[in-house]
Amino acid sequence: MSKSKTRSFVVAALMSAYVVSAGAQDPRTGPKLDNPTKVAVLAIIDTARAQGIPVEPLMEKMYEGLGKGAEGPKIVAAVRNLALEMSIAHSALGAVATTDEIKAAASAMHAGVPAVELGKLKKQSRLRSLATPFTVLADIVSRGVPVGSAVNAVKSLVGAGAKDKEINDFQRNVKEDIQQGAPPAAAAETRAKVSSEKKPDKPDEMEKDKF
Amino acid sequence: MPEWGRTTLEMIVEELQRPVVLDKSFERRVMVRVRRLYAERRPRRGRGWLTVAASVAHRPAWAAALAAGIVAIATAGVMRARPTRDILVTGAVEPVTFVYVAPTAKSVAVVGDFNNWGLDDSALAATNLQGVWSVTARIPAGVHRYAFVVDGKQWVADPTAPRSSSDDFGMPSSALVVEDSTK
Repeated sequence: MSKSKTRSFVVAALMSAYVVSAGAQDPRTGPKLDNPTKVAVLAIIDTARAQGIPVEPLMEKMYEGLGKGAEGPKIVAAVRNLALEMSIAHSALGAVATTDEIKAAASAMHAGVPAVELGKLKKQSRLRSLATPFTVLADIVSRGVPVGSAVNAVKSLVGAGAKDKEINDFQRNVKEDIQQGAPPAAAAETRAKVSSEKKPDKPDEMEKDKF
Repeated sequence: MPEWGRTTLEMIVEELQRPVVLDKSFERRVMVRVRRLYAERRPRRGRGWLTVAASVAHRPAWAAALAAGIVAIATAGVMRARPTRDILVTGAVEPVTFVYVAPTAKSVAVVGDFNNWGLDDSALAATNLQGVWSVTARIPAGVHRYAFVVDGKQWVADPTAPRSSSDDFGMPSSALVVEDSTK
């Protein structure tokens, strides 16, 4: 065996050892995912990465499917759907959006909120994180609040400078009102009005961020 | 010139987030430079693993044994590698307490995207105090989804938390936003 061949052999062995070890470093790599599903999911993740979409939520979706014992095709469909929603959310929110905002926006879209409304909300709020408002939006829409009423309610809260805690309180109040029999739209509109009126002196985020 | 409706800071952030496009020879030029720097700093008497490779070239059997040994070590590492039970942490983490009331339950655990949905025994086991089950864990800041698993089989959403809309697998889950207290 020549020197160069020996070096190539050793290098190849080292490379294969490295590749195998690297694969083992992801603690979530389990034996439960069948190969066709794995290949399909990885292809979606690669495409998302190339588009600049955060891929960690896609991995989480895959593991959620595994944890819930879903079959391969269902996992692939869920990951593909999430990738699509995140791609639309990413475009609607713009480059300043964080991974958490994109993730929460995708959840709101899943509930039925149009991406364009989320984009408008992001423009209104500027540098404020909208992870909580989007999460609350998804929740109240899933509880029966019509999309228009829900968007207006959250928009008025964000516009009035409500903090995340106040927006969470709003969600809790709307939920309890609905559980007690209130019409969802009326609950959201009334609670948003009450919350916004409590903060007359707070500066609008949009005004605050102006130079 | 600033565009209408956008702050200077937003434009700076946007510019910083734009991917840097490098020409194809960039990587090669960097590696040439790195090797040159490395060669300058390295003591002359040892020539590293390439010397080892060159010396074993005279004895192909040794080379084969060395390569087989490396592969065996790597394989053994893989066989020993066990998924961690810890929550993966890349940024700030905050203590979060999960509470679920289930007087008749025999066990309650918390699973979510912060612990790989309970895969590989990573579920957070809650402790029981007269039917009130609770567990506190350090959760990375950010948006999460989770659920309670009652008696090892029944998945339930947290009734006190916002619902998660994306239940693609027919089991309910809740949404959680963990704020970074250091910001």
